[in-house]
Amino acid sequence: MFENLDTSASALTAQRTRMNAIAANVAGMNVTHDADGKPNPYRRKFAIMAEGHPNDPDAPGVHIVSVEQDQSPFRKVLDWSHPDHDKDGYVKMPNIDLAIEMVDMMEASRAYEANISAMEVSKSMMNATLRLLA
Amino acid sequence: MIDGVNDNLSLNRLMPGGASAAKAGVGAATGGGAAGGASFSDVLEKSIGEVSRLQQDASKAVEDLMAGKSQDVTGVMTAMEKSDLAFKTLLAIRSKLMDAYEEIKNTSM
Amino acid sequence: MFINRLINQGSAPMLEQVAKFTSQRHGLLLDNLANVSTFGYQQKDLSLDGFQAMLRERSEVRQASPPGSVGYDDIQAEVENPQSGILFHDGNNRSMEQLTSDVAKNALMHNLAIELLRKQFATLDMALKERVT
Repeated sequence: MFENLDTSASALTAQRTRMNAIAANVAGMNVTHDADGKPNPYRRKFAIMAEGHPNDPDAPGVHIVSVEQDQSPFRKVLDWSHPDHDKDGYVKMPNIDLAIEMVDMMEASRAYEANISAMEVSKSMMNATLRLLA
Repeated sequence: MIDGVNDNLSLNRLMPGGASAAKAGVGAATGGGAAGGASFSDVLEKSIGEVSRLQQDASKAVEDLMAGKSQDVTGVMTAMEKSDLAFKTLLAIRSKLMDAYEEIKNTSM
Repeated sequence: MFINRLINQGSAPMLEQVAKFTSQRHGLLLDNLANVSTFGYQQKDLSLDGFQAMLRERSEVRQASPPGSVGYDDIQAEVENPQSGILFHDGNNRSMEQLTSDVAKNALMHNLAIELLRKQFATLDMALKERVT
């Protein structure tokens, strides 16, 4: 009976997970060491979405398949003062472009709002149908 | 526009010949004969036909709108409201008639 | 049998079918909206024009037949994959503006059909109760 609301809810979850990945990317823009303190630049994360509700692949909706790490090469920045520079003076910085992250963030937020308004429409349609009896 | 609506609603419009014919018609019905104009039963029959016609018009307008033949939503709404009011009027007239009949039936001699 | 004819008079059967169509279409449009960011997703839709053409055809048949014999129950719209709009690099030809406006239009049509249906049943109800309100 409430399949429509389930569909929209799955979209909200998926877009929020995507936002989490984007937020982590923006936060890790200049991170060159990992949690153990070893030189290990942060790799950009991105979410892969696929059709099908997370609880039931045949039901309409969307789910996150995985959050992958972008394997594109790190940015090389010339900095002789950095302790981790290599023999040519380059430091490997995370492969994150702020412009791309900002645009992705806007897209995710727009999709989130669109799905919220779709949920409101579903609720109003259901209310109108229930009023047949009243 | 309000005058037009009132005009449509008034009993004068439902019954041909105006209010005088209505009074004459009622008098004729209680008198038991068809004297001087249309009898009340004819008038009632015509009103039922009128209401039925209005309802069929409204129904057709709704079907045309839903099937995409016309785009006139306000036309459909007004047609439905007209048919609804006509039906309610007829129902009110019927109730009054039934009440009058009951009252006459219960007159003690 | 005459009760069946009484309940199914006027525009009630068609309004029922329209309401079923709009709720089905709503589900598909929601699925499209949920998958705006999915790679290679095919847009799904129910054609409104096709459905209305089927309704028009059936109402002609209905007018020519005795009352109560022909209904609209077996009219079923087919799911199609519209290829209109810009095809983005991720293989998805979505347009958020088109989707949200389609959702709004569909919801309005649904609410209109339900209101008209309610009014039909209210008239019958009023006649049965023999009271004007």
